[in-house]
Amino acid sequence: MSAIIENNQLPFSAKFLQFYKDRTLLAILLSLFAVMFIYGIFFTENYLTITNFKAIIRDAALYGIMAIGLTFVTLSGNFFLLSLKETASICGVTFAMGMATGFGSPDLAGNFLVSLLAALAVGVVSGVIQGYFVGMGGNPIVVTLGGAGILYGIGAWWSDNLVINFTRPHDAEWLGTGSFLGLPSITWSFILIAIAAEIVLRHTNFGRKVYLVGANKAAGKATGHENFSMAIIVFTICSVCCAFVAVAFVAQMDSAQSNYFSAEFGSSGDMTILVIATVMVGGNSIMGGYGSTLRTSLGAIFIAMVDNMMVLQGFNSGPRIVGVGLMIVFSIIVFGLFAKGSRAQE
Amino acid sequence: MENFIKKITKDVDLSFAILLSFCVYVFFAINIEVFFSHNISFAILERFAVLGLVGLALTICIIAGEIDLSIGSNAALCAVIVVKLTDPLGAPLAMLIGLSVSTLIGVTQGFVIAFIRIRAIVITVGTLMLLRGVALLIAEEKTVMLTDFRVPDFITTKVLMYFSPASLTVIFIFICVGIFMRYTKYGREIYAIGGARKEALTAGIPLRRPMIIAFALSGFCAGFAGTVIGLKSGTAQGLGLQYLLLAGTVAAFVGGVSILGGKGGVLGAAIGALTVNFLNTGLVFYALQVHFVQLFTSVLLVIVIVFQTMSRVFDSRQARKSLLATIDERKTSLLEKKRSALGR
Repeated sequence: MSAIIENNQLPFSAKFLQFYKDRTLLAILLSLFAVMFIYGIFFTENYLTITNFKAIIRDAALYGIMAIGLTFVTLSGNFFLLSLKETASICGVTFAMGMATGFGSPDLAGNFLVSLLAALAVGVVSGVIQGYFVGMGGNPIVVTLGGAGILYGIGAWWSDNLVINFTRPHDAEWLGTGSFLGLPSITWSFILIAIAAEIVLRHTNFGRKVYLVGANKAAGKATGHENFSMAIIVFTICSVCCAFVAVAFVAQMDSAQSNYFSAEFGSSGDMTILVIATVMVGGNSIMGGYGSTLRTSLGAIFIAMVDNMMVLQGFNSGPRIVGVGLMIVFSIIVFGLFAKGSRAQE
Repeated sequence: MENFIKKITKDVDLSFAILLSFCVYVFFAINIEVFFSHNISFAILERFAVLGLVGLALTICIIAGEIDLSIGSNAALCAVIVVKLTDPLGAPLAMLIGLSVSTLIGVTQGFVIAFIRIRAIVITVGTLMLLRGVALLIAEEKTVMLTDFRVPDFITTKVLMYFSPASLTVIFIFICVGIFMRYTKYGREIYAIGGARKEALTAGIPLRRPMIIAFALSGFCAGFAGTVIGLKSGTAQGLGLQYLLLAGTVAAFVGGVSILGGKGGVLGAAIGALTVNFLNTGLVFYALQVHFVQLFTSVLLVIVIVFQTMSRVFDSRQARKSLLATIDERKTSLLEKKRSALGR
């Protein structure tokens, strides 16, 4: 009670500053949104059309879903995975294998459910193994760097580095190219997953544990929430998200290859770095314990918006990658300056 | 010599590295007839010129307790600059410009890390993308090529049977950095902020100076590796050279650095890089696809990490056990004292 009274007695300016400091990054992000939006309306042709906004959200959905999975890892203080695109590619290869050949048994060929379950299972296995090593005390960056090479190697080995095709009338069309109420399925999945993740993080026991372990590992350990089980669970969540994105992407393309998500994927060079960029631009603390999936979703939409505008203005991939890179560095430096001296940074 | 043997047997990780590299070399020497020959040794040393430098760069960063993920992009940027400027300016000037750009990038990164007090992985993920974009911009999204492929011949001519000017320079850099890290105040500061940062800062070591030096060295080494690759092949791409990060990390970890920082050295980095070179060169003879090389390199990394993590867990368990044992001993001795006092 006394704390509340004290808080009320603070002068208005101090309260305003406190409020602003708590939400600085959100405010900066929103104002940048507004600036980009107004700039887009006035200086870019075909920007203010419904088709274009659908395209933006559709772009954002692909790496947004992965980034939501990665947010769990980041919030729990395990930095990030460098094996995102490799996990996605091996899951995509698994799914396409299931759709094309049914893993050797012709009865199962084209069976959507079996292929989906197999892809998700591959995601779970890779997540559990990497999470196990991280939980044992390995550094997440190094473990997942090694994991990335192994996953990519196995995926390429299994598919002989060939493109696996399956023909068009298949059971997964509704996920790849279908739409519901005018929005593509992948956009709906993005929205649903974002809402579900937000609810899990805010209102369940598990979500609070994620924040606790990320904010203060020692306190988490002292109260019986060790990083070991947490690392396994969050890595699994992240890998399953990757698997889902891979399945949706492969269902759209009717084909899969082990380097679909590598190199010049989509807008900005590298899927893994793009997803990490999304988490950072959203303003989540990389040290863990601070942030939310809502921020990540906003970050995904923001990156997609900037990228979309640069495409409409006719930029090549070089300036676009520089643009996204500048956004990451800017958000890191701003976050670092505001968090200076606080707990968020060791 | 006795000192040397004592040092190696004392350092578990270094002896493990030597054992591992020996095993890899012997495996290929037995299975491939020509592996143990002058030409292959020359080829291994040629590769060492690139991988050793990247391994050295990552080793220095990891000794300082940080990790530099932007190493591949930095090398690619330097390669693009050098290849692009060799035609108008000549190779030496182009190399000078490329290397100074890379070093400057390293200095900037180190300054930002020390000034904001942020973890290096965070900022270097950003610069990874940024530098890649800059390299693409400079290369105008094309593959940059030399017009006269005879220009860079001076770095690949054979000297003394096994060496080329490139590998000799790299060995010279290794010796210089080794002396710097071991025998100067600045080098020891890098060890100090890596091994025990809080204690080092409390003892009055400035964070900024060692961090800037470490990242400047890392940027220089990455740039030099990029220069050698670019000049040797005569081409450079903005999106290339990303595999250097994995290879360098494997070299550094095989060489016995600890991710916690403050451990490892230049000798380890050289051995680690040689191990990766043996593996890569040996796999060439089996005519495998690229992804197999990546697979085996990653497996090597995982083996080393598992070994390191397990030895750390084992050590901490051992320490805990001995602590508990001493506590028990004290307790029993106290009880005995009490008993004897009461009995009397």
